[in-house]
Amino acid sequence: MQPALPLKRVSRLRPKKLSRLRMRETVAAFGFLAPYLIVLTVFTLIATITAFYLSFFYVNFGFTEPIWYGLKNYQIIWYDLTHNGQFLNSLINIVKYTVGVVTLQTVLSLALALLLNTKVRGRGFFRTAFYLPALTSSVAISLIFLWLYNTHGALNYVLGLVGVPAHAWLNDPNTALPAIMLLNIWTTAPTFMLVYLAALQDIPETLFEAARIDGATTWDTIRHITVPLLRPTTFVVVALGTIGASQLFDQVYVMQGPDCGPLGSTCTPALIIYNTAFKSSLMGLACAQAFVLFVVIFTLTVLQKRYIDVDIQY
Amino acid sequence: MASTTRASSVDASLEELKGAKKPTRPVLTPTEALLYAILVFYAVFSLLPFIFAFLSSFKPEAQVLAQPPSLLPQNPTLQHFQEIFQSREFPFPNYIMNSLLYAAVSAGLNVVLGAMAGYAFGRMEFPGKSILFALTLAVLMIPSNLIMIPKFLVANSLGLVNTLGALIIPAAVTPVSVVLMTQFLKTLPRELEESAMIDGAGRFRTFWQIIFPLIRPAMITVAIFQFQGAWNDFIWPLLVMQDADKYTLTVGLTFFKGVHYTQFGLLLAGAMINVAPLVVVFFIFQRHFMKGVSTSGLAGR
Repeated sequence: MQPALPLKRVSRLRPKKLSRLRMRETVAAFGFLAPYLIVLTVFTLIATITAFYLSFFYVNFGFTEPIWYGLKNYQIIWYDLTHNGQFLNSLINIVKYTVGVVTLQTVLSLALALLLNTKVRGRGFFRTAFYLPALTSSVAISLIFLWLYNTHGALNYVLGLVGVPAHAWLNDPNTALPAIMLLNIWTTAPTFMLVYLAALQDIPETLFEAARIDGATTWDTIRHITVPLLRPTTFVVVALGTIGASQLFDQVYVMQGPDCGPLGSTCTPALIIYNTAFKSSLMGLACAQAFVLFVVIFTLTVLQKRYIDVDIQY
Repeated sequence: MASTTRASSVDASLEELKGAKKPTRPVLTPTEALLYAILVFYAVFSLLPFIFAFLSSFKPEAQVLAQPPSLLPQNPTLQHFQEIFQSREFPFPNYIMNSLLYAAVSAGLNVVLGAMAGYAFGRMEFPGKSILFALTLAVLMIPSNLIMIPKFLVANSLGLVNTLGALIIPAAVTPVSVVLMTQFLKTLPRELEESAMIDGAGRFRTFWQIIFPLIRPAMITVAIFQFQGAWNDFIWPLLVMQDADKYTLTVGLTFFKGVHYTQFGLLLAGAMINVAPLVVVFFIFQRHFMKGVSTSGLAGR
């Protein structure tokens, strides 16, 4: 590629040779990255661009070619949102659900991590035991809880012992969504517990020693040292929790079927998008709905970044 | 089990020795007792639904929803498992095979391809590196269900729908695996490949012969993560595997539930077929897995 002569003359500085080395290094690096970049480009980047593009089309999948539709898909969504439609209902459900799940699971996962970050015996056992709900599939967990929540199930029996009458938790519009919230908190908190545990190990021990010498109680150190220092981790936990919770699909689909549960009480945007795309075959409208949901989630994440994630100096 | 009891009895006798010299201290302070009580309570809360469901999957149908419920089955039976495996409408052996291929092949691919990408990000310098890595972290934040439809259209136009390729190829190397591998590879000392490269080995040979054999902890973590993710995956196989004999176990179980929704003995047995293999794999590798999660912080921070 490069003429060899000038290279020899400036051999002590060797800028050309260096750049040739860099060139070789770059080629090798992209060789290592090639499989990843191809998969990422095809199934994530092209897919995302296609989704945005198709949201301006009428796509009756499998029947007709896409027809330019302008903003009509978004107008359909706007009409739904302003006329108390099903999509609005699903957005309200998912906001309630996400706020409840993320708040409780963040507090629970931090509490579990703090408990396991002490010098108790059998930490390994407890950590493994706590993690089991996070290991198993949403489908299997949904089947187990379908049975536990049943009118004649174990939960009603236990509650009956303290005088609570038997209840069909999943058939009552008031309790169907909270029941699913509870099982989701139970399955997601252990994962974030591990994230917190990892972060707790990075906090220098000297900080706690100093506080102890100053006479601080355990509760003081948690409130004034641990929790503030964990803020960047809390942002990760809250943001990933929000992204996970707002996509709720599997549990609702398995427990309540592809329709929307009692009086639409367990309708989620992901379920509506799925039904729009694969039952009504309206892929363009489904893509537009997905973008509206994306904007909602993205806004939430930006707000969380602003209020939770603050630079920390040790 | 045997080794832990031995270890704790050694600990106990050590305590006794110390106790002989010092004034005796109560076995547990009230705070410690409370701490253990909470930990034991939450451990029961985490494990009991699985133990109860597991034991109930051996109960005859009439006992599954009995009031009061009993933990142990009377007259335990394998009838639910037999019925599931003999079902003509739902070929469960096929479902298990499909799930296993999806999980195992994608896990293997993530280990190799993820390590390659992680090597470039973690140990090489090239233009565009920081942008591409930032893109990788940003993709982690994209809600995956939201791009399901266009991803399905892409898979459809590539002719992948209803083939194992539709499951495996998009999952062959995920951003999570790349981030995990990058974080781990960064921690290995620089000198490792320097001497090999001075000896004239190229980047690819250095990677395969020097680096790849050293990253076992990260490989196990990535493999378990991907195996778990694929084995448990529901929405993507639901979209792309449309013929009844192509379903994965999670999708097959869901349609099975649609038919047998009142027969909880069958549903619990089905859930156990899905849960058990993962629990076994997890217990074999759990020490490496927990370590991997804690060194990488799970997602790229």
